[in-house]
Amino acid sequence: MFNDFVIGQFLSAVNNYTDKNAFCIAGKFYSYYDFAQHISKIRQKIQTIKGSSEIIGLIANDDIETYASIFAIWFEGLAYVPLHPKQPMERNLQIIKQADITWVINSQNNNPFEGLDVVFVGDLIFTELLLKPNLVDEDKLAYILFTSGSTGMPKGVQINRKNVGAFMKSFWETGFQVNESDKCLQCFDLTFDVSVQAFLTSLTKGACTYTIPHEQIKYSYIYGLLEDHHLTFCVMAPSMIRFLRPYFDEIHSESVKYCILTAEASPLELAMEWSACIPNAEVFNFYGPTEATIYCTYHKLKKEGKNKDLNGMLSIGKPMNGVNAIIVDENSNVLSVNQKGEMCISGDQITPGYWKNPQKNSESFFTKDYQGKTTRYYKTGDLCYFDEDGDIMLSGRLDYQVKIQGYRIELGEIEYHAREYMNGNNAVAVAYENKTGNNEIALFVESESCDTNLLLDYLKTKLPPYMVPVKTIVIEIFPLNANGKTDRLVLKNSIIKSA
Amino acid sequence: MEENQIIERLEKIFSSVFGKESIVLTRTTSAGDIAEWNSLNHMILISEVETAFNLKFKLKELNKMQHVGDLIDLIISKSIV
Repeated sequence: MFNDFVIGQFLSAVNNYTDKNAFCIAGKFYSYYDFAQHISKIRQKIQTIKGSSEIIGLIANDDIETYASIFAIWFEGLAYVPLHPKQPMERNLQIIKQADITWVINSQNNNPFEGLDVVFVGDLIFTELLLKPNLVDEDKLAYILFTSGSTGMPKGVQINRKNVGAFMKSFWETGFQVNESDKCLQCFDLTFDVSVQAFLTSLTKGACTYTIPHEQIKYSYIYGLLEDHHLTFCVMAPSMIRFLRPYFDEIHSESVKYCILTAEASPLELAMEWSACIPNAEVFNFYGPTEATIYCTYHKLKKEGKNKDLNGMLSIGKPMNGVNAIIVDENSNVLSVNQKGEMCISGDQITPGYWKNPQKNSESFFTKDYQGKTTRYYKTGDLCYFDEDGDIMLSGRLDYQVKIQGYRIELGEIEYHAREYMNGNNAVAVAYENKTGNNEIALFVESESCDTNLLLDYLKTKLPPYMVPVKTIVIEIFPLNANGKTDRLVLKNSIIKSA
Repeated sequence: MEENQIIERLEKIFSSVFGKESIVLTRTTSAGDIAEWNSLNHMILISEVETAFNLKFKLKELNKMQHVGDLIDLIISKSIV
């Protein structure tokens, strides 16, 4: 599938749209021919040093050589591990060590990793086109992404070629129509898997990919791209859109045909307000853990009429083709409609497992006889239920489910009421252990000024007493993690420190 | 307001937002020069500048801003109106 849906379609785009723009990076355009030249010379370089390692570190810069390196690596039948230049050195070194990386590709002429072979691909000389791919097995890896682990050590999610191919097939089957006239936003770091969807959607159809330079202010730059280049396809995290919210009255981008919201739960109110800024766009909420390759369920926003939500968050809809979802209880029994439990996913998009982590693999995957078949499932850790129409409602992380005074509560419910009171401003509830060893709730609200006494009075009218936060903290702007999501951990740690 | 007065006030705001003891700004300083200057801090920075100079920026104006010099020009042009 990878050879058809990724390599084959990309090569068709190169052949059919040779002179059309493939990328716009920091204001500079690169045609498909330019891109093919970069891929060819990097392949040539890789061939001279290819050793035993099939996994290559790639410093995730924002330039044409870095994107070309991904394709050069794939064309050679190898896999990449992105290393973000702005991530702490210690974390990158941990990743390099864990993934047994012996050499790293860098488009910039510096070697941040002492003692490691770094291959500079920034100023190679082009000699000939090398676009005949080494077609390798579908179970060979395409990339490994390291996500934060609860133990503090990053864990590597292996994604093989079958996973990516199956994802692309299912993604197109959701009905998106992209062609060579489209202009697609790629605003995610290459260390985050949504980036793969963003550049593949564009590059397999002959469209142009618009990236964001690392040193730019992301939300402001996105607005500039919408205004100046009339983007047609945007994938964004709700947190990025929230930055634009104070300026919604200035934004009117008629060119946008599609907008995908992803990476975190999408507040319905924010999605509706944003959709008014992009009046011609179909807006979608896509859900998916990295372990299930980018996305696995989706829901289309209704611009008119009622949308399904739970605690103000949009439904994550139905599974994509080829993805099977079940909701199970603690003993892996399948639950029926409207019963809340952990969502588990199966299908060709599911990772073969965490890299060299048998313990985590045995915790996160299980096989089950269901509907006459023995199937391997991934446990998402997300608390969900199916409604009567088969739409999935996402209630939050299982870890957000906490017990307070013996009651099982969901922090999402507290957040929902706080957001309601503050006209949609963001709110995050965290549970922490107080000095007596009991769980208490702290509520963080994102606001310039908020009378927390009035907010608490309001919450007391909506929530049982044990769910009313003990502490409320007003923060002007919430911290975000590297993937652009609200960083709950930083918020939680700040309360633990002060508790 | 004179340009050097604006820079002086901006330096104070920048230092406080980025949590640094002192920051020296020139017209060519940009987000790439200060490690802490990310989307989050940018939003805080803009809001602090708006409060300090008692003005409101449009996204269109902010988007064209590449250097501190652009911010200074913007403040001057908005203060005159």
